[in-house]
Amino acid sequence: MMDEHQAELAALFALDLLEGAEKTAFEASLAENAELRRHVDGLRAAAAEIAHLAPPAEPPAELKARVLTSVSGRPIARPAPAPLPPLIPFGSLIPWAVAACLAIAALWAGRQSLNLRSENEAMRDQQHLAQVDLTLLRTRMEAERLVRQRQYDDAQQQLAEAGRQTHESRAELARLQGEVAQARQELALAVQQAEAAGRQVAALTVKLKQEGDLAQYKIATLASMLGNSPKAIAVAVWNPMEQEGMLKVSQLAMPASDKDYQLWLIDPQYKSPVSAGIFAMDPATGEAHVKFKTDKAIDTIAKFAISLEAKGGMPEPHGPIVMLSQ
Amino acid sequence: MTDAEASRQAEERSSEDAKLLRRMAGGEHDAMAALYERFSRPLYATALHILKDGAEAQDIVHDVFITLWEKAAIYAAERGSAFSWAVTLTRNRSIDRLRSRRRRAELLEQSAPGDLGLQEGNAGTGADETATAADQARVVRAAVATLPPDQKDALELAFFSGLTQQEIAERLREPLGTIKARIRRGLGKLRDTLAPRL
Repeated sequence: MMDEHQAELAALFALDLLEGAEKTAFEASLAENAELRRHVDGLRAAAAEIAHLAPPAEPPAELKARVLTSVSGRPIARPAPAPLPPLIPFGSLIPWAVAACLAIAALWAGRQSLNLRSENEAMRDQQHLAQVDLTLLRTRMEAERLVRQRQYDDAQQQLAEAGRQTHESRAELARLQGEVAQARQELALAVQQAEAAGRQVAALTVKLKQEGDLAQYKIATLASMLGNSPKAIAVAVWNPMEQEGMLKVSQLAMPASDKDYQLWLIDPQYKSPVSAGIFAMDPATGEAHVKFKTDKAIDTIAKFAISLEAKGGMPEPHGPIVMLSQ
Repeated sequence: MTDAEASRQAEERSSEDAKLLRRMAGGEHDAMAALYERFSRPLYATALHILKDGAEAQDIVHDVFITLWEKAAIYAAERGSAFSWAVTLTRNRSIDRLRSRRRRAELLEQSAPGDLGLQEGNAGTGADETATAADQARVVRAAVATLPPDQKDALELAFFSGLTQQEIAERLREPLGTIKARIRRGLGKLRDTLAPRL
């Protein structure tokens, strides 16, 4: 009776898939188990049929001739000889012995001839194998040569590519350096233009400021209110941005020694006129040029007035108004 | 065809093969030529399928027939058919050469580029097989077709690839025990199916 493990080993053995100790052990079982041998023979026969699954292929016609040529004169293995028959009397064997010797000699000569042929065939096989090895060696060397050639070609290409890239990089560097120099020149020019434009802007700003300031200036002429100086005239100019002004007075009589002329600015936001200070007439020219400021901030000037006050001036007007803007 | 007829034809075929071997053992070249006609196509197809190289397949078939000639006298019919013997010789020698070539290829692969075409074979034409061989091939294919695909794949790899059990398991990405079981079941079923013809 065969167990499942043996059946498995038999299938693997039939397909020559057993190896090593497993194969040796199974062969030992096979030698002493006839049923197992029959089972394996059946599996081997079935396995051999798998050969029919190979795609059909026709062997070349010359193969048959090659096979038949090879077998001509080739020795055939013989089964082991049967046991010798019982001995018979020596005298009657002499003619047979002579004949046997001749036959043995003939057989020996024939065997020698066959052996020589076999050796010749073996040498041919060895020569064939050597040629195969030589072909493989040549193929391998050719493969190595191709690999080296390919590596050399690749290295040459890489070198040429690196040279080309270096050349391009240098050209690119030179181009970039030129662009940098040009950019620097353009930048210097732009800085110059910007500075010139800045100066123009500053000049225009000053001019505009001046024009704006001038437009805001309050300019007024003051007429005499006195009979002793009917021709007296004064011009007052007020710069509201700077909160300062200029007064020019002509042909106004000199005040008494205990008196001073005092300038007043009349701003509607204040109840009283705002003092712009006292001033003195130049006895040589009969004129006065006065730059004045106020203690209070002036928003709008409605009038300029000049009064005659006590020496040193007053916080508020007490004396007579001698000149008044129109 | 009934199983009885198939069995009778198979017996006749095996008997004829055995007679040819006996005649070859007697040195008759005509018998050798006749056996060549009967066996050369399936043997060549098998070697070519394993080796994928026409020249190497021819060498194998040549050597197998030389062996059949030299050992015809010691052929024991009770141990199996002549065809089974010839196929076993062909397969074993093809696989030996395949494994030797793989070892060489592994060495060569380290230096040789793949475009040398070392692995390319010269496929035979194979359209002119005899009616008997074609019929036997159809029967075997039909028998194999009844196997589950996983058993069929395992058997074909085991027969043609020259791989070990472990390599077959790795190729099919299955545990080794599964592969062994598939081979056992597949081969057993194939034997049962083909029994009348073996």
